[in-house]
Amino acid sequence: MSSSSILGAVLGASLSFALLSSGPALAAGSHGGGHGMHDMKIGKPGDPAKVSRTIEITMYDNYYEPESLDIKEGETIRFVVRNAGEFVHEFNIATAAMHEAHRPEMMMMMEHGVLEPDRINLEAAKAMQASMGHGMHNEANSVLLEPGKSGEIVWTFPKHADLEFACNVPGHYETGMHGKVKLSH
Amino acid sequence: MTIGLLRRAFLLGAGLAAALSGAATAGEYSLTVDPVTVDTGAFTRSGIGYNGATPGPVLRFREGEDVTIRVTNNLSEPTSIHWHGLILPFEQDGVPGISYEGIAPGETFTYRFPIVQSGTYWFHSHTGFQEPDGAYGAIVIEPTKREPFRYDREYVVQLTDAHPHSGNRIMRNLKMMPDYYNRKQRTLFDFLRDTREQGFDAALSDRSAWGDMRMMPTDIEDLQGFTPLMNGKSSAQNWTGLFTPGERIRLRFINSSAMTYFDIRIPGLKMTVVQADGNNVLPVPVDEFRIAVAETYDILVQPKEDTPFAIFAESMGRTSSVRGTLATAEGQKGDIPDLRKPPLLTMADMGMAHEGMDHGAMSMAGGTHTMPDGSAMKGMDHSKMAMPVGAHTMPDGSTMKGMDHSTMDMGTSDPFYAPGSGLMPTAANGGKFLSYNDLRTQKPLYPHREATREIELRLTGNMERYMWSINGIKYADAEPIRLQYGERVRFKFVNETMMTHPMHLHGMWSILDTGKGKWNPVKHVVSVAPGTTLFMETEVDAPGQWAFHCHLSYHADSGMFRKVIVEGGPEGKAAALPVKTEG
Repeated sequence: MSSSSILGAVLGASLSFALLSSGPALAAGSHGGGHGMHDMKIGKPGDPAKVSRTIEITMYDNYYEPESLDIKEGETIRFVVRNAGEFVHEFNIATAAMHEAHRPEMMMMMEHGVLEPDRINLEAAKAMQASMGHGMHNEANSVLLEPGKSGEIVWTFPKHADLEFACNVPGHYETGMHGKVKLSH
Repeated sequence: MTIGLLRRAFLLGAGLAAALSGAATAGEYSLTVDPVTVDTGAFTRSGIGYNGATPGPVLRFREGEDVTIRVTNNLSEPTSIHWHGLILPFEQDGVPGISYEGIAPGETFTYRFPIVQSGTYWFHSHTGFQEPDGAYGAIVIEPTKREPFRYDREYVVQLTDAHPHSGNRIMRNLKMMPDYYNRKQRTLFDFLRDTREQGFDAALSDRSAWGDMRMMPTDIEDLQGFTPLMNGKSSAQNWTGLFTPGERIRLRFINSSAMTYFDIRIPGLKMTVVQADGNNVLPVPVDEFRIAVAETYDILVQPKEDTPFAIFAESMGRTSSVRGTLATAEGQKGDIPDLRKPPLLTMADMGMAHEGMDHGAMSMAGGTHTMPDGSAMKGMDHSKMAMPVGAHTMPDGSTMKGMDHSTMDMGTSDPFYAPGSGLMPTAANGGKFLSYNDLRTQKPLYPHREATREIELRLTGNMERYMWSINGIKYADAEPIRLQYGERVRFKFVNETMMTHPMHLHGMWSILDTGKGKWNPVKHVVSVAPGTTLFMETEVDAPGQWAFHCHLSYHADSGMFRKVIVEGGPEGKAAALPVKTEG
């Protein structure tokens, strides 16, 4: 947990992800509401006490199981996300447009050596922080996981939204690592 | 169109065999080698095809199956089929004089080998110039495990450079007059313009250097006058792949050209490269990529609009192009972009601009390279080629400081070309052009380890006599390269010519050193640009004897070719090799 705390302090909101090395979620509930715009469109961090069910998400290279989600409007879900692949993957709940906007940031992280194929380079993250001045906090709608690691998100879904869960590691979305969130009434 | 239909039948006993052994199935396939007519729209000529057509059929195998392929030679001359990129016993590799004797006219040869890999590959004749004459086809191998990407449909996109002359005639002409097919020779007027721009002395010294190399700045394609074809069709014939908007499409590009590199783009669509030479790579979104002769690249695209998209392949020398179309209905045609301006080779491509080049990293002693004309070039240090950091000294002496490859400014520099090279690729839309430097293997096939020894191979030639060689010695005069089973050999290619050479080792993988350690891409062809040094490593794990050559047909034939003998090997796996002292 200590390493993820460092990274959590280092990486920024504009990079919009939460990093979990293992165990309970850093992201869940820790979000102070700095990104209110998300709440309207995509839902909001959920109250663990109000979780109606747990959904296990397994991330492979480069796809998810399950490949789509059926969720009731307003439902609060605990996602237990496990990276069973050999590469770093993300589980991120957002609109397609938000994912698209997020991908150049992930590309930048890869180019700065922060995001290596199978690990997250904390040293490079610090260097990037130092040179670019990003210093923010985590996002509650996503987890970025190294191979073998697990994390959790508790998320309350909105009434109406066109949502996808997706991995924005460069090339992963483009090759099909995304799925629909079907909201039912 | 297809005379002998591709036959595929699973043996009746396969189910039982699978129950016993776990997985193996057996597929039976038949190919006939036939005289065919090549019709490009621009010209018609006789050629060679498979099952009555060129390109031949797409052979679809499954990883883990044992294939039996019966090849019947209906030509009046010997033939052969090489399974390009497949890992198999050397007797099945299909190179006359190295793997076997070839297939005589009227005979049927039966290939049998296990399929131990997956991905996009191809097959072609390894006899004379039958491949340039049309004897090629595609291989698609389905993996046993799920692919690391999703797509809704797929197409093979196989390119070639069909020429109105037969391969034999082309070779005769090149031998007689190496610039026979170079239509872009510089003229006195070009020289006068250079004089105006560079001053008389500079222009003259430039000219004289080119003369010493027996090369010209336009020697990018030593074979021009061809009609590029996409799946056997010219631009006018417009090969078409149908799609429904929103579908993700996998395109399996194969460059089966005799001599031509292509730059490929689909205006309006971002392409994601997912495989190179049959091996999955970490996906790379690009706007354009260059495909060397004999390479394959698999890409995904996702056209969302109900509109035709051109698949546009432009030859590296910009003398020719071919357009196919991704269409939502038959008859649609993607717009054909204009050919870009032909590149001119620079002094960097001659290796002359390397004095004092300092890429900063990985210091190794700078070598002295002897040029084909016997002159020496001092202080060239190609060993740092692959390091995209630091300050680059340009041919004009200026320094590019602080080049930052980590920014989104893609574009101008690729460490796999000599700095200042006229061949440095850039994307037509100003976006991302794929570099070898972007390729990372999805799955390392071998543990990463230090090479056990290094073998230097200088790629050499004499353009005046159209002689191509390795270390200055042509194939006919050369000793085989002997490797020991279990070695990891580091091959150092030093390109001392001004041509780009796609080097192809049969039977074993070529792990291209891009400085990425265990992520180095695993290929079967590595393209070595002029004025550069490139390293690849090979785990020597395939006993027997193998071909190793430049895949430009006329370079291979004139001597840029070696036999590789792998000695030793575990009990039962070592090859029964012919006794030593073969030539």
